[in-house]
Amino acid sequence: MPGVILKALTKRYGDVGAVDGLSLEIKPGELLALLGPSGCGKTTTLRLVAGFLAPEAGEIWVGDRCLSTPTSVVPPERRRMAMIFQSYALWPHMTVAQNVAYGLRFKPGLSRGDREARAREMLRVVQLAGYEARYPGELSGGQQQRVAVARALVVEPEILLLDEPLSNLDANLREEMRFEIRRLHETFGITTLYVTHDQAEAMVISDRIAVLQAGRVAQAGTADDLYHRPRTRFVAEFIGRTNVVEGVAASRDTVTRGTVRLRVASGELEPGARVVLSIRPHQLRLGAPGDATDATNALRGTVRRTAFLGDTVDYEIAIAGSDLVLRAAAPPTPRFEIGAAVGVRIDPAGCVPLADGD
Amino acid sequence: MDRSIAVWVGAALALVVLIALPLGWLAYLSVSGEHGATLGHYREAFADPALQKALWNTVVLAFWTGLVSVAIGAPLAWLTARTDVPARGLIRGLVLASFVTPPFLGAFAWVMLAGPNAGILNTLWRSVTGAEEPLLNIFTMPGLVFVVAIYTFPYVYIMVANTLALIASDLEEAAAILGAGRLAVARTVTLPMVLPALASGFILAVLQALALFGSPAILALPAGFHTVTTQIWSLFQFPPKVEQAAAFSIPLLLATALLLQVQKRLLGRRGYAAVGGKGGQRRTIPLGPWRWPALAACLLVMSAAIFLPYGVLAKGAFVRAWAQPLSRDNLTLGNFAFTFFEYGSTRAAIVNTLELAVLTACVGAAMVALLSYVTNRRLVVGHQLVAFLVLAPVVVPGVVLAVGLFIAYTRPPFVLYGTLWILFLAYLTKEMPVGYAQADATFRAIPADLEDAGRVLGAGRLRILREITAPLAKSGIIAAWCFIFIGVIRELSASILLFTPSTKVMSVVIFDLKEEGQFGAISVLGLVMLALTFATVALVQAALGRDVLGARR
Repeated sequence: MPGVILKALTKRYGDVGAVDGLSLEIKPGELLALLGPSGCGKTTTLRLVAGFLAPEAGEIWVGDRCLSTPTSVVPPERRRMAMIFQSYALWPHMTVAQNVAYGLRFKPGLSRGDREARAREMLRVVQLAGYEARYPGELSGGQQQRVAVARALVVEPEILLLDEPLSNLDANLREEMRFEIRRLHETFGITTLYVTHDQAEAMVISDRIAVLQAGRVAQAGTADDLYHRPRTRFVAEFIGRTNVVEGVAASRDTVTRGTVRLRVASGELEPGARVVLSIRPHQLRLGAPGDATDATNALRGTVRRTAFLGDTVDYEIAIAGSDLVLRAAAPPTPRFEIGAAVGVRIDPAGCVPLADGD
Repeated sequence: MDRSIAVWVGAALALVVLIALPLGWLAYLSVSGEHGATLGHYREAFADPALQKALWNTVVLAFWTGLVSVAIGAPLAWLTARTDVPARGLIRGLVLASFVTPPFLGAFAWVMLAGPNAGILNTLWRSVTGAEEPLLNIFTMPGLVFVVAIYTFPYVYIMVANTLALIASDLEEAAAILGAGRLAVARTVTLPMVLPALASGFILAVLQALALFGSPAILALPAGFHTVTTQIWSLFQFPPKVEQAAAFSIPLLLATALLLQVQKRLLGRRGYAAVGGKGGQRRTIPLGPWRWPALAACLLVMSAAIFLPYGVLAKGAFVRAWAQPLSRDNLTLGNFAFTFFEYGSTRAAIVNTLELAVLTACVGAAMVALLSYVTNRRLVVGHQLVAFLVLAPVVVPGVVLAVGLFIAYTRPPFVLYGTLWILFLAYLTKEMPVGYAQADATFRAIPADLEDAGRVLGAGRLRILREITAPLAKSGIIAAWCFIFIGVIRELSASILLFTPSTKVMSVVIFDLKEEGQFGAISVLGLVMLALTFATVALVQAALGRDVLGARR
């Protein structure tokens, strides 16, 4: 099972660099999600990997095969990959069985009977046994999705590419298919590149996530890494919600903004420099205003807005002595009403300085 | 490199030769004199008072045809698209029939109906009123406009009906709830949204009238006046003045190109009228007591375009003397015998026509399929140029194209004049845009994902074309084949300049028969032509599962 290496890929449309010097490694057997907002170049990257596009610079390697350079591109049909499309791209003039068996025509040494048997077996794996003779138009969205998955997996590709495969499903089905795709990945262990703009989907499905911004990898790592140790403001805001606090380093581990002083976990700040912190809402612990005012990172504030979300309550708190307004996610009890004065404590480990605050 | 590239590049190159050769020669010859470049031919052509008159007549004819087409087509479109007028399906079917009727057949029929002396309607008028003077004289400019307009109004109808079908009633109701009365809604919402379609339908009708040869030749020449197309034709009569004809063709070409550009602009800005077609429904407006009068008005138009002409052609085919009443001893099958067995060139012409139609449709359908695939999937560098070239013949009136082809293929390296091949090239070029539009719509509806999915699994591009794309595009390409076939069957304006005695086609024979006054045989051949046309239309409807006028079900 080979991995994939993208080296400084560049692809432009007119003057716009859709992919701009992108480098990334997908380890053998890994499921990596390419995550980013629309227009960040993630689909272009996927189509470069599939061989539908030729890069203007850079290289694509799968194992020890170099598949794409600016001068030579191995065509899609000889890349030993499979792809699942956002639209599913099922052929409406073929039955489910014919759709699934199609890719096996290009595997040498398989008789017609072999191909049918393998297609049937794969349909059983995706829980569509008995649907062989149906046409795609006769299936529900979720079933079509499963056919698309079966068609891609049955050829035992070296690399599996998925282009926002769940975005056409309704919320419940999407949830179910996330786990289904993860289950199939654990069963087959195919090196997989998964494009999505949905961070929750990326976190559930993938081993690692590469967040793309303007055609480059802003940060790659596990969901845990990206959430707790975002390197840039873009990543911090894209993965989950966060409070971004701009200030000045007062010492190697303290940031000030007005009268507010915050200790941060790392002790590597350069005193006097501008610092941008990311503080996740659940890192704010709320209490009575008088509690331990002189403890580390203890602030006072006023509740401006609340929203009850079931297992948490979302607060918007204006911090006293500054222009800061922070979002907090706190347990339903104790409850604070609008206008109530609250004490806010933030664990220094939850105040993460960002390398790139812009 | 992709092995399939040779196929795409080959198709594109064939196209360039097809279009560029005749038009290049046309432009070249129009400015070439014995001593290098000259504008002499243009000066000669435009200084000639007869030619000036022809130019003016064409302007008059085109403008009035446009207006009358709008006056007929727009209300008809509104009635069938939006109101509860009875028999909407029938009316639509009749508009379609008018759309595919060869205009020159209509012109012949109207000669039999409203010729000043023997015309059936005039005879009837005299016998009813005892008047000496005829009621109608079709050999006049108003007569010509009328006969042209009853077969061009479907262009306006199509544009307007399809636009109305896209405007959701919500938009009108949104105005009504804000206090606009029915008239105010029509004036402030519906009409402005339909206006671009209306204007573009007007331009299409004008273009038809500009390019038409048959009807003016049948109605204007006996009346003693020329249009540009008949004038170009007469410049080709012995001794041919090819250079002058070329010089006279260029303005017609430019006018057409300009008008089409305007039309494209109008439609390009139409974006707002084409909003989905989703959302809101289109509710029908009850006409109340006006339902039946409205239907009567529709049927009146249709009797002018369909019932009377078809009726008189049918009568003409089965009687000895078409101007005499239907009676037992007037009935005969003699016209059929004469047409098919006695008259010299008929059978050869029918065979020629069918051969050419099948050949052109097959080659044409294959070419437009390849070319529209190339442009839709952007397979070659310069695919925009391919799309431009394949649509370019739209701006070339048949007569002008024929002049270009005549010049290009009467001299080396390709001497084709006198063979069926020059007609084949003329038809292929002329019908290319219609076929392309159909094929383009077909491929547009097939997402590229369906092909990409096959390639990732290991199929090469040509294999994908065969196994995935072709089956999906089949019905659309069959429709393109049929459109080309219908176009060839009825083609007159290019054929009339390119035929030779051994390469006559049906339309040319009909034209010859007119010179000899053989109206019985004309009627017989006309019915054959109509039968072929309607059989093909039926095939399209079956292939597409919708009618040719392009409405959504």
